[in-house]
Order: sequence, then C-alpha cells, then structure tokens
Amino acid sequence: MAEHNYDYDVLVLGSGPGGYVAAIRAAQLGLKTAIVERENLGGVCLNWGCIPKKSLLHNAEVLETLLEAEDFGFTFENLQVDFGSAIKRSLGVVSRQTKGVAFLMRKNKIDVLEGQGVFQDPHTIEVTPAEINPDAPARTVSAANIIIATGGRARPLPGVEFDGERVLQYRHAMRLAEKPESLIVIGAGAIGMELGYFYSTYGTKLTVVELLDRVLPNEDPEVSSEVAKAFKAKGINLLTGVRTEAVEVSDSGVTVTVRNMQDDSTSSVEAAKVLVAINIVPNTENLGLEAAGVQTDERGYVKVDAVMRTNVPHIYSIGDCTGKMPLAHVASAMGITAAETIADVETLPIPDEKYKFMPRCTYCKPEVASMGMTEAQAKEAGYEVNVGKFPFLPNGKAQALGVKSGFVKIVADAKYGEILGAHMVGPDVTELLPELSLAQFMEITPAEIARTVHAHPTLSEVIMEAAHAVEGHPIHM
Amino acid sequence: MPKLGESVIEGQVARWLKAPGDQVEKLEPLLEISTDKIDTEVPAPASGVLLQILVAEGETVDAGVTLAFIGQPGEELAQPVPTTAAAPTAPPTGAPAASFPADPAPTIAQRPTGRAFISPVVSRMAAEHSVDLAQVPGTGLNGRITKKDMVAFLENGAAPPVLSAQRTSIASSPSAGWALNEDETLHPLTSMRRAIAQHMVQSKAVSPHVTTLFEVDMTATVRHREAHKEAFATRGLHLTYTAYFVMATAAALAAHPRVNSRFREDGIVQSRRVHLGIAVALNDGLIVPVLRDADEKNLQGVARALNDLTNQARSGTLMADATRGGTFTMTNHGTSGSLLGTPIINQPQAGILGIGAIVKRPVVRSAAASLLPSADDAIVIRPMCYLSFTFDHRVLDGAEADRFVAHIKEQLETWI
Repeated sequence: MAEHNYDYDVLVLGSGPGGYVAAIRAAQLGLKTAIVERENLGGVCLNWGCIPKKSLLHNAEVLETLLEAEDFGFTFENLQVDFGSAIKRSLGVVSRQTKGVAFLMRKNKIDVLEGQGVFQDPHTIEVTPAEINPDAPARTVSAANIIIATGGRARPLPGVEFDGERVLQYRHAMRLAEKPESLIVIGAGAIGMELGYFYSTYGTKLTVVELLDRVLPNEDPEVSSEVAKAFKAKGINLLTGVRTEAVEVSDSGVTVTVRNMQDDSTSSVEAAKVLVAINIVPNTENLGLEAAGVQTDERGYVKVDAVMRTNVPHIYSIGDCTGKMPLAHVASAMGITAAETIADVETLPIPDEKYKFMPRCTYCKPEVASMGMTEAQAKEAGYEVNVGKFPFLPNGKAQALGVKSGFVKIVADAKYGEILGAHMVGPDVTELLPELSLAQFMEITPAEIARTVHAHPTLSEVIMEAAHAVEGHPIHM
Repeated sequence: MPKLGESVIEGQVARWLKAPGDQVEKLEPLLEISTDKIDTEVPAPASGVLLQILVAEGETVDAGVTLAFIGQPGEELAQPVPTTAAAPTAPPTGAPAASFPADPAPTIAQRPTGRAFISPVVSRMAAEHSVDLAQVPGTGLNGRITKKDMVAFLENGAAPPVLSAQRTSIASSPSAGWALNEDETLHPLTSMRRAIAQHMVQSKAVSPHVTTLFEVDMTATVRHREAHKEAFATRGLHLTYTAYFVMATAAALAAHPRVNSRFREDGIVQSRRVHLGIAVALNDGLIVPVLRDADEKNLQGVARALNDLTNQARSGTLMADATRGGTFTMTNHGTSGSLLGTPIINQPQAGILGIGAIVKRPVVRSAAASLLPSADDAIVIRPMCYLSFTFDHRVLDGAEADRFVAHIKEQLETWI
C-alpha cells in the first residue's frame, strides 16, 4: 500500500458474505483492514438467509422422509412434529456460523467496528452505536479505500407494510413461533419457493402467487414445470400469471386479491398470513453516499465496474447493494476482486456478461441448480446450440434414493463446444453443479466431461450422460 | 529432456558429449541442451554404456521425451527404438537416460506450446482458424487464453489465416520460405534464435512503438566513476556505466510508476516493484537477466548484482528463473559502439531504454538563457550519450514518456 495518513488501508461497510470475505482477502494481502457492522457478523446470509433457511429446509427434508417412510418399510404411530425445534435448531446453526466469522476476523487481525457507518467525506466514516452493541463508542475512522457492502432488504408491495404478524418478509418467516395454518407466498422466486416448501411440508396450507406465467421464472421452462408438478403433488395451490391487486389484513387473517393476466378476471385467496418475497431493495440511502460523491442508479443501487470500483476511484462496492446479482457467493466473488484490485495484485475482473454464469440454486424439493443461458437465451444470443438432456429416472443411485423425476440439461455451442448453460432439477443437484461451473470457467467442452470417468453408482453419472447426449450418444438411453 | 523451469516446455539437443558405445559415469556431462531460456549441460542419470541416442543434435523435443538409453556393456536393446520424433513403444532393458520415466513421452507437435493450459474450446478455435496461439495475448488467470481472447484476436489483431500459417512456418519449419541458392547455407534456428524471432515479431504486432530521444552530458557521472572505480575494484567489483544507468532508471521508474506497467485489455497493470531486465549480448543471441528490486539497491549493490548476472549469463549458468518477472528492460547497445538505437519492447512491458555509446562531442554551453547568438556562447567538449526510450503508445503518451527520460537525464547530469 502506498503511504498515507489514514487509519486503515481498507474499510469494509457491512460484514455479509461479500464484506467479510473482502476483508479477509484484503488482510491476507497485507492491508490494514477494518469492518463495520450494525447488526450481526455475517449479514443476512448467515443470520437471516442462506444459513438458517438451509437448516429449516433440512428439517423439512427429514420430515418428508419420515412421512414417506412406509415406502422403505418403516411404520410408526403417533409421529410428533415440533415446529419450534426446527427454528431453534436453525438458530443454533446461525450462532455457530457467526462465531466462525468472528474467529476469522480475529485470526486475520481485522478490526470489527460495531455500529452504523456513515460517510462524512470520501475517506471518513462516522461509526455510531447500533443494534449489534448499543454501548459501543461512537467514533470516526478514515481509510484509504472503502468497500460498500451494505446489502439489501426485502422489497415491500406498494402500500402494504410488513407487520411481522399477518404480512411477513423472509426475516419474519424464518423465526415464526408457530406454524401458520395457511400461508400465501407472493413471488415464486427462490426465497418464496424455499420457504413455501418448508411450511407446506410442516402442514401449512400453501398458496403461491406469481406474476409471470410459471414458478421460478428465471429458470429453464422445463425446470419450472418439473418443480410445479412436484409442488402440486404436495397439494400446493399455484397461481401463476396473476397480478396481486390488493392485500387486506383483518383480525382473522389476510385476503389477497389477484388479477389473472390472461382473462383479466379477479379472484381472492385467504390465509392466516402472507409472505411477500418479490425481490430486494438496496441498503444505500442512509450511508451518506452524497458526502462521498458515490453515484447510485435510479433504484438506489451503487454503480460499479468490472473490478467493483464506483465512480469514486478509491471507493468500491460489492454484493446486493450493487444490484448485479443478489446471491451470497456472487458477493464473495465480487469482494475478492475488489480486495485484490485495491492490493494491486492479479485478479479476475467480473464484467457484466460473466454474471449469467454464476451458480443459481433453489433449495426446495426437488432442488434446482443452474448457470448460464437457457436454450432459448442461447439461440437469441446467436448461438447454434447442441442440447443434451438426461433424466434421473434410469440412474441407479437415483432409483436407490427413490427419486423418480428430474433431469440434467446441458446447452453447448455447436461450433466449438463451449458450455453455454446447465439446468438441473432433481436430487442434490446444487451439489452437482460445480462440475459444470468449473467446466464452463475452464472452457472444457461436453466431450471432455463425457470422457471423464464418473464413479458408479452416483448421481453425477447423469451429468456425464447429459454430456454424452450433447455429443449425440447417451449410453443408458 | 529434463524440464528446466516452470515455463520451459521444450529443448533442443545442442551437442552430444558422448557417442554410442562410450562409457559414462553418473553425473558426468552427457549432452548440452538449449532452451529459449537457458543453455546447459545435462549430466548422466546413471553409470553404464551409452547404448543408443534417440534425439539427434539440432532436434527440438518436448520436456519429458526420452533422449537416449544407458545400459550395461554388451547389452542390446530388446527392440531398436526409432530415433527422434516417435515415442519409445517397447520398454528397453537399459535405464532411460535424462528423462522422467514415469511419464509416457508426450507426442510432439500439434499441441499448442508455451502456455500452461489451453482449453478445449480455444484449441478447437485455433485449429479451425489456423491460429498460432503464441500470438494471442491471454487475459485469463496466469495469462490463460480464453475464448474471449480468441474472439478478440480473430476480430482485430489476427492476420488472415493464410498469412498467419505462413508466418508460423517461417518461424518453425526449415523447409519453408525461399529456396536456397547455391551460394547460401542454412543454419537451423537455435531455440534462442527462434524465441527471439517470435518475441520480436509479436512485440511489433502487439505494441505501437514510439521512440523519444534525449542526449545526456555524462561529465558528472564520468567524474564520479573515475573517482570510485578503483575503490570498487579493491572490493572485486567492476564499476561499469551500466550500473549508473540502472540506478537512474530504477529511481525514475519508482517515481513514474506508469512506465513500470503493462497493457491489458481491461486496463493498465502497474507493478509496485521495479524488476529491471538488462539485455546481455551472447555469442549467438542475447538474454535478459532481471535485477530484482533494482530501486532498493545502492550503487555497490547494483554493481555487484550486475557483475553476477552478466557473468552467469555469459557462462550459461544463469538460473532458469533469472530471466523472468522483469517489469522494464534496458539495453546498453553503446557498449558495442552504437550511438543511437530504437530497441523493440520486451513484452509485455511498457517500454525499453536504449543507451548509446558515451563519446566526447563538441556542445554549446551558454550563460545566456536566450536561444539567440550571444557572446556568452562557448563550444566545449563533453562526454555525451544518447538515451532512446521506446514505449508502448497504448500505455504512455509522449509528454509522460519524456518526463521519465528527463528524470534519468537529470540524475546522470548531477551525479555526486
């Protein structure tokens, strides 16, 4: 680092999976680093998102296994299901993970400044006491470089406030004291589908409302329909292609009025609670960005380039507050690029066209994992494509697990074999995706994947077969 | 063929020091090889009799290829192994010499060489468009060529396939090019010659070269050297003018970090450390050992490092890595009498400094500031030297380049 008179080489605002990873990378590269956090170390991911949700979803999977135990020859009576234990277990997991982040901060000699950070000028941050520790001293610190990693929060429906009672956002849904009898989820993206699956498995009567014409509308249409099939089989009411017109809260529950986009008819659904899961808004309005001269777009997202620089050269921004792609692992990757850029070491910039190759996972059952373009998107981008698709049904491991649906689909450029996209739905596909992400990153073609010997019997054989299918000759088909 | 360094992937058999049938002792020099980085002797890996030589003098093979067999006196190879090119197919009874026996010999040719990893996608594109991958700048991790680089290369920088193929063949195949007439003899390219040829062509193709020229009054530097060279000599050090030029250049690079950089598609990569490459002429070619952290050394440290590097370069004992990692290069062509040169940039650096011979020349000095003729004008004789700075115009503009050279000039003219 060049010589300067600031307190720190790098100051990171926000300790989510973007911020704390950026801080560690900066510290590893010899930079004097501090991180400012107002709530809890780990941000939404560790405290309110990925981590507790994954714990809850595993509870749901265990419960589903118990409910289907008869298929495996187990019968029992009087199965007791304690909803509260699921929440409690998730909080235990959160606590361990958060302590892990605190340990990593200590290990890397990163100062954790407890409080809310606000820019005074482009190099100075005032840290005032906040939820994480109301007794922490107020102070002013300065840094040569600053990384804004303040994340985002749930976007409310216009005119409908989150009250935590009847109208919920994901934070409320993650810590309910009791399972609601009935629930309406507005928004069939990853969060809505995951939490919906969790509550539905625990016995909540579930309705999912989606504006677009299918659930998981960002995924391949065949993936969406596979998930829709499974949800319907669980007795979930899926209302797609409908616009939410009104949410009325009463003492007994909520009434959601929706308009069918096809025939313009309106109808209403009632439930005890409604969960709104329709995207996020960035946490950028109370940061003093004006004092720093940092520009945001009209929606409040901080504008950054491929190395996460804002319009102010020494100020960077990563993660949800940039509006690039609100996923924990994307924020981490952006954080590493930002830290390496500050340290002036070799890094891998992330230009806009790379984000579509970031892994996208939905942890409901069946699981969904994808990256890159769908077949339609690839054709639209001008590629001539070869598509290889292989179902899980003939796969020995899938049979042993009792899985009867799902598939792996690989979209490749017909000319040079470049992998353009992968779309998977089925058992543990989120764990299978990295093979294809690596292949895409290293520009390996389906020919090499098909020739890579995959152990038998494993689910990964389905990827190998899909790769064979791209080449035109799946073996077990 | 032993692998002499991370980036050394092939080598040329320069000379066999033993003939088939000769007795060899373990670690006794067996042959000389030449790579694009270094020429060196290869010791025998085992004692015995040199049974068969597989790779003839002048042939270039990939690292890992079996060069010869050493066995017991009177021992015959089970099956004669075809020489050069083809991989040995039958395991002979003798120990393979000078190779890594665990690896099967890689097939020669076809594989793109000179990069750590060529992805299947890039490989297919290169095959279809007959692209010499050595010409393609890589922007991936560790300089890996990505598909994006290939697309950019094919769209912008690439010569048409025919021309590109022709250029490659001129550089690599002795059969291509103009036919020899009776008065001509062909001297096959050494690895070094070929590496220089490729680097020079690539550099001219990649960087728009611009040269700026300064002259320096070396009086102060000459005076300093005259006053100190004997003291240095008593410490076993040869104090050369090159040491002064290294000192001044390194300080100027530290003060003008933009010059200490390289161009990439996504930006200018500046290095905060100054690793100065110094061109050293050899009998057949030249080599550029790197003086690391040159800006952190004093004159004595620079003089010692220069002595060591040039001695090692000329005796061929330079470590394979000593030519890597340079951030800037200077060439003192004045040592062979040249007044003025326009050197070619050592890629991927942003510039190269050429230093001309120091010669006494009449120059005009004047106490008057004006350029008009004046009674104060006087013709004096001074040791003068031309500095030529050739730079990549993508990275630097003239004014910035001139400030850099002016900084060097100022130091040399005011040396105390």
